[in-house]
Amino acid sequence: MTASIHTGPVQRPRRRPNKSRRAETRMALLFVAPAILLVLVFRIIPLLWGFGISLTSATATAPGEFIGAGNYLRALNDPNFIASIANAGIILLSVPVFITIPMILAILIDQGVPGRGFFRSVYFFPVVLSSVIIGSIFSIVLGFNGSLNALLKFVGLPGVDWLGRSATALPVTLAIQSWSTFGMGVLIFLAGLSTVPKDMVEAARLEGAKMWQIWWHVIIPSLRPIIEFSTVITTIGLLTSMFGLIYVLTGGGPGTATTVPEYLIWSAQGRLNQPSYASALSIILFVITGALAWLQIRMMSRNTNL
Amino acid sequence: MHKLKLMAAVAAVFVATPALAQEITVWDVNVSRNPTYYDAAKAAFEKAHPGATLNFVGQPDAEYYNLLNTALASKTGPDVIWANGGAQAKNLVGGLLPLNDKLPDLIKSIVGQSAFTVDGKLYFIPFTLQGHVAYYNKDMYKAVGLDPEKPPTTWAEVTKMCDTFKAAGKACFMMANKEGYEAEFFLSEMANQSLTAQQQADWASGKLHWSDAPIKAILQTWVDTYKNGWYQEGGNSQTMFLDEFTLFEQGTAANVWGLLSNVAHWKAFEKDMGADKVGVYPMPSPTVASDQHEGSPGVPLDGGVGYGVNKDSAHIDLALDAIKTLLSPEVLSVLVNDAGIVPANTAVDVSSIPSPGLKQIMGWLATRSVPTTHANASAAELDEWHRQSQALLNGDITVDAAAAALDKVQAQAKPQK
Amino acid sequence: MAGAGKRQRLALRIAAIPMALLGVSCLYPIFFAVNNSLKTRHDYLLDRFGLVVNPTLDNFVQAWTRSHLDQYFLNSVIATIGAVILLTVVSSLAGFALAALRFPYRRFLFVVILSSLMIPVQVVLVPYMRTMVALSLINTHVGLILSYTAFFLPFSVYMMTSFYSGLPRELIEAAKIDGAKLLQVWWHVMVPLGMPALVTLGIINTLNCWNDVLIALLTMQKNRTLMVGISALKGEFSDQIPLFTAGIVIAAAPIVILYVIFQRRIVSGIAVGAVKG
Repeated sequence: MTASIHTGPVQRPRRRPNKSRRAETRMALLFVAPAILLVLVFRIIPLLWGFGISLTSATATAPGEFIGAGNYLRALNDPNFIASIANAGIILLSVPVFITIPMILAILIDQGVPGRGFFRSVYFFPVVLSSVIIGSIFSIVLGFNGSLNALLKFVGLPGVDWLGRSATALPVTLAIQSWSTFGMGVLIFLAGLSTVPKDMVEAARLEGAKMWQIWWHVIIPSLRPIIEFSTVITTIGLLTSMFGLIYVLTGGGPGTATTVPEYLIWSAQGRLNQPSYASALSIILFVITGALAWLQIRMMSRNTNL
Repeated sequence: MHKLKLMAAVAAVFVATPALAQEITVWDVNVSRNPTYYDAAKAAFEKAHPGATLNFVGQPDAEYYNLLNTALASKTGPDVIWANGGAQAKNLVGGLLPLNDKLPDLIKSIVGQSAFTVDGKLYFIPFTLQGHVAYYNKDMYKAVGLDPEKPPTTWAEVTKMCDTFKAAGKACFMMANKEGYEAEFFLSEMANQSLTAQQQADWASGKLHWSDAPIKAILQTWVDTYKNGWYQEGGNSQTMFLDEFTLFEQGTAANVWGLLSNVAHWKAFEKDMGADKVGVYPMPSPTVASDQHEGSPGVPLDGGVGYGVNKDSAHIDLALDAIKTLLSPEVLSVLVNDAGIVPANTAVDVSSIPSPGLKQIMGWLATRSVPTTHANASAAELDEWHRQSQALLNGDITVDAAAAALDKVQAQAKPQK
Repeated sequence: MAGAGKRQRLALRIAAIPMALLGVSCLYPIFFAVNNSLKTRHDYLLDRFGLVVNPTLDNFVQAWTRSHLDQYFLNSVIATIGAVILLTVVSSLAGFALAALRFPYRRFLFVVILSSLMIPVQVVLVPYMRTMVALSLINTHVGLILSYTAFFLPFSVYMMTSFYSGLPRELIEAAKIDGAKLLQVWWHVMVPLGMPALVTLGIINTLNCWNDVLIALLTMQKNRTLMVGISALKGEFSDQIPLFTAGIVIAAAPIVILYVIFQRRIVSGIAVGAVKG
């Protein structure tokens, strides 16, 4: 995460007195303390606790007994879990699309495309609505006798059971997820674009740079931290927040076509009363997500100061 | 010392508080759907127990069991718990009070207990009975030359009927398998005549496997009927509640597998289509087991939904009274009249309900009820069957492979000693 | 150069067409929700997509009164406002520290906060409930506010850290060398500079808190929040869609209105360039 202005590490003036440095450390820790405390109590400790549960055979009403890695071994042998991991892999391939489209839209709006006030407002509407409503609408639209197939029949093409056939279920679900969340990405990129130095853009334009050159050489590099942020957030979101939409659209099916790890976790916890298995799956998902995020951050911020 | 005193005072507040406010909390998912029933129960209970209140909390359906499991695990659950009969209820029994010796008089007049019984102990008292029958559109029968007053009674007649509809370009049965419910209903409907009583019992205990002949035949029938074009297109992504039944009412298919209580039943169909336009019949099975009779298909029947008592409740006696109130004939008949249920309490009189369908059904229930096969499968198996049934329809998997996968889940869920 | 400007304007005008189509498609769900909320249950079953024939406000009345959405609305407002204020302040302070200040364990603490973003909610449900019970925070507004803050902090801190680290260092260094106390630096430099990001974050957090069902469902059984009340309207058999969509409209309206008002501030021109110039 680095500003585009610097070319090397910041030079520290050596005249800084130690007292000021200690004060800075104290204040900094004070600033960070509330965040750390809340996260520790409500997220980290429950995570470790959940890890503890994953080593037992607990149900909702019985503490069960210690079974060590039993749940994890079960997960590795569970064809549904393996399928869900494969689906997660496919989903991750679509991350670049989830980033690029909002970014381009945001840049267009920032650059003054006609109607930008309208776009800025309405693009966010799908984000506001819960996935239940969106899922319900598209369930009907994409049903075999729904609007999309009616349109296709009108132009002479055969209808497809979009959500009922294994080959189309996942791509269609991803498309809907993209449609219902791109507004958030546009918002974030718009905020990031406000930090792009306008005078640099003007200077480049005055020097005769074409539009796409300005984009590629000035705007997008300034957006580096936001792109990285968006990539990580999108990855995490796709892996941990698609449940609501999938539940209404396809119920995880057909077969395991749209079963994602998050769905199996919910199913184990809520339908099968196996919270210990759900915990184990959650820990596995957490490790995978963490590894991915770490990789992404490493790849993207090569000259990071952090 | 101060700290101890403070802690004692705080503890006293927390201990004292429940005793002051005598509130019985009931968690249910249908509170906004059937308000008259809950109002009647509340009025009756509070009249009989001045100073106590009966509080119904409507929970979101999708999160209900997740919420309940979490609440039970952290001891923040309600006093009275609603549950669907079958796998879900049986999953919860660890947190519930066995009711056999708590409400003996009430239990005597309750049928459909097996959906809520584990190891001989009854954990929920059912207040509705749920069963599976086929409803059919009389006008559609007439239009293809079939006698609308003579629905099929054997599998051969069913096949002939469906061939007739197929030739006329109409769907014979509705298919709505997005949530996997159609596959569940199908299992019970097909098993009603093709399994002996012993086989039904073996199935419940996990001894009868998915790959054994009687059940595997049902999987094969699932695939075959689909290949024979019995169903409307796009059934794999069709939602059951409530789309499927609306589509049936609009004439998308001639027959649909429906229920007995609350929804997709005689009351709803007769109201929306007209009592003279819809009929009902018990579904024949492809094969007839040795202790069943050809021409007399059974009605899979079991407890539908019931109430149980949280064993950690602070007011066990009041909770039991609440259940007694909810199941009393005076209060339960409100639900019968308004929502149209088949009550599990035999003391409730349904003879005055003006529904031709219900009268027929009550007649069959007296002599032809059979276990609901899918209610006796574990939640894990039903989950897997949900997936496999969709894959089978899509041709993504063979019957043998599906049965093997299901066996594996069954073995894990119902380990044999 | 006039030529480049004209070409650019033409390109933008062409781009506006697909963007407009997309925009209209984004309006459709709102139309669907409003349209269906005016239908009776029977009308909805007969025709799900068509325009309402006999509009009725019964669903809104029932949702607001019988289903207690008026009480739930207030509870949601309390929880959301409290959490968003807390989130904005805490994440801005933490983001400032992590992005611009030097202190030991900085990297480690950042990783800790970031990693809690990836914890799937399910694994923490029961431990979270037990923690809340142990701290006596169950069924309290404070408990819900703290929970929301804790759940959405990682995202907020990460976002503010990203934004702040994209700002030119000289500004912060200049303020520090001037001898200003760090808290003043925060208030006079980081908050104004971060305004676009803070407003964005405010909107996102408002949305997250307002739309949350699971956390509120577990934490506040007594004084429910709006979305919990609404999802309970759907019932077991999804046959209450008009009532449900009426609830959705009631829930979505404040957010949509808030968003339309505030989204201007994101590009209001408090840009770095202006400050530097």
